[in-house]
This record gives sequence, structure tokens and C-alpha cells, in this order.
Amino acid sequence: MKTIIKFIFYIFFIVPVVFAENNINDKNQDAYDLYKELRCLVCQNQSLLESNAPLALDLRKVVLDKLEEGYTKEDVKTFLVERYGEFILLKPKYSVQNILLWVGPILFLLIGVFVTFIFLRKQSMNKEEGISLSKEEADNLKKILDNNVP
Amino acid sequence: MKKLYSYIPLIVFFVLILFFARQLILKEDPSELPSVLLEERFPEIILKKLGGYKLFSVTNLMNANSPSLVNIWSSWCVPCKIEHEFLMRMSSDHNILIYGINYKDKKEDALKVLDLNDNPFYAIGVDLDGLQSINLGVYGVPETFIIDSDGNIRYRHVGPILEYDMQNIILPILDKIMREKI
Repeated sequence: MKTIIKFIFYIFFIVPVVFAENNINDKNQDAYDLYKELRCLVCQNQSLLESNAPLALDLRKVVLDKLEEGYTKEDVKTFLVERYGEFILLKPKYSVQNILLWVGPILFLLIGVFVTFIFLRKQSMNKEEGISLSKEEADNLKKILDNNVP
Repeated sequence: MKKLYSYIPLIVFFVLILFFARQLILKEDPSELPSVLLEERFPEIILKKLGGYKLFSVTNLMNANSPSLVNIWSSWCVPCKIEHEFLMRMSSDHNILIYGINYKDKKEDALKVLDLNDNPFYAIGVDLDGLQSINLGVYGVPETFIIDSDGNIRYRHVGPILEYDMQNIILPILDKIMREKI
């Protein structure tokens, strides 16, 4: 009885794991990485990996076929960009056209920090000016306060 | 001088407004991709024959006398059915050569559609597994390419061609290509 249970355990739990391990070779890892980096053009905010659209399945097949033909990851990307445009890359390239996309957020942050800094400094300077009265003002103030005392 | 920097956020705000307004007013659908292959040769793709219909091969497009359309369609695609009428009108009323690429379809279903609704295509090629169309950058049916008489892609239309698209986009571009030739 025990052996049978053991046997069943092996079949259902160990064997699939062994097969899965064998399947993960370099090519599949490359394909997996590419699936994550490429956009499904039907469900446009999903990657090929997440999407179940028929086109995504086809594109996955193309990626795998090309890797098998000896294409590198970069070659596969270039192949697809030539056909679908840079839009297929989920992460835009670092290029001159995309410079605003990459630098923009930092630029806006810097503008914000700069303006806030100047604004705060100006405000604190106003405060200091307000605290220290000139001699004339101090005398005036004293006079008013004294006069008000009955 | 003191004033200038305090206007920076306002200026940035207005630049952003202009940017967003442009996207709103132009009404370009950002999910529609322009073809990467514009002004380029129609790629070499290999298609199979559909029943008794003339086989469309890429060589048909080279050194043609007139511009032509390449339409990707399928029997299971509903917008293609709507578009069918306009393809018929273009091929019969305007004498435009339309080549069809039958995309991931069952042969019997495709033949049935052409039997029932008439055939707008001069020649047809079958792309059974959809992998040939990937070379064209196709990402959904229907799509239509306008090819000039030298076999270069001049325009790509994503989605069905309706009355408006036919009158205001497709026919004018074909006209323009014809006039270039003279």
C-alpha cells in the first residue's frame, strides 16, 4: 500500500518537476525574457506573455522560431520592430526621439524643486524683514503702545 | 526678475494643456499603428491557393499598370463582412484591383463567403497560420494596404473601409498615385 502511494506521489509531483526543469534551457529563457519585453498589439498594455490573443500566440511562435534559427535576442527585437514599429517594445529605446520621455520626469522634478526652493527662501526672507523693525518703526511702535496705556 | 521664476509652473501648465489639446483635437487613435513599411517594398510573402481562385503572389504588385489594394480578411471577422460591400463597389464601380489575403481561415468558410456575397478580389492568397501576415505587420483583420504600381506600400488602413474611408481616404490616395504616374 505504502509503495503504491509513494509511486503515485512520484508520478504526480516529482515527474512534472523533472520535466519542467529539463525544459528550461537557455533558448526558452531568452524567449521568456522576450515575451515579457514585447507588447501584444491586440491588448496593447499586455505583454506577449500575459496576453491570450491569437496574435500574441502567433508572435510567441515567431519569437521561438527565430531563436531556434539562431537569432539573438536583439535580432528578434529588430525583426519585430521592422514590422510593427518601436511600439512593440514595452520599454522604449534610449534614443534621441525618446529623450523627452526619459529625461522629462527628471526635468519636471528639477523645475518643481527649483521653484519651491526659491519660493520658500523668498518667504523666509520676507519673514525676517517683518520681524526686524527699523529704528524709526520701533520708536513709532513704542509711542503708539505708550499712548494707549491709560 | 523676481516675477519670472514664479511663472514657470504656469508656463509648464500651459505647455501641457497645449500638448493634451493637440491629442484631443487631432482625434488620432493612438491604438492604430501606422505601417512601418510605408514607402517600402511589399515584403516577400508566400501564400497558398484558395480553391479555384487565381493565386495572389507578390510579383503581381511589381510593375503593375495601376495602384492596387491588398486586403486582409477572414470569414470569421465581422467588420470584414461590413467592409465587403465597399470592396465590391471599389472593384466594380472604380475598377480597382483588389488582392485578398485570407487570414487564418477555414477553406470551406472562406469559399462560402465568396459564393454568397460575390468576390471583390482579382486574386486571393491564403495565409493559413497567420505567420506570413506578420511579415506585413498585420495585427488584426481587416487591414488594407494601398500599393503603388511599383509595388511600394503607400498607405495602411486598419479596420473596415466604410463609406467615409472609401470616399475621403482610399479613393483620393489612389487618385493621387495615378496622377503621379502621368
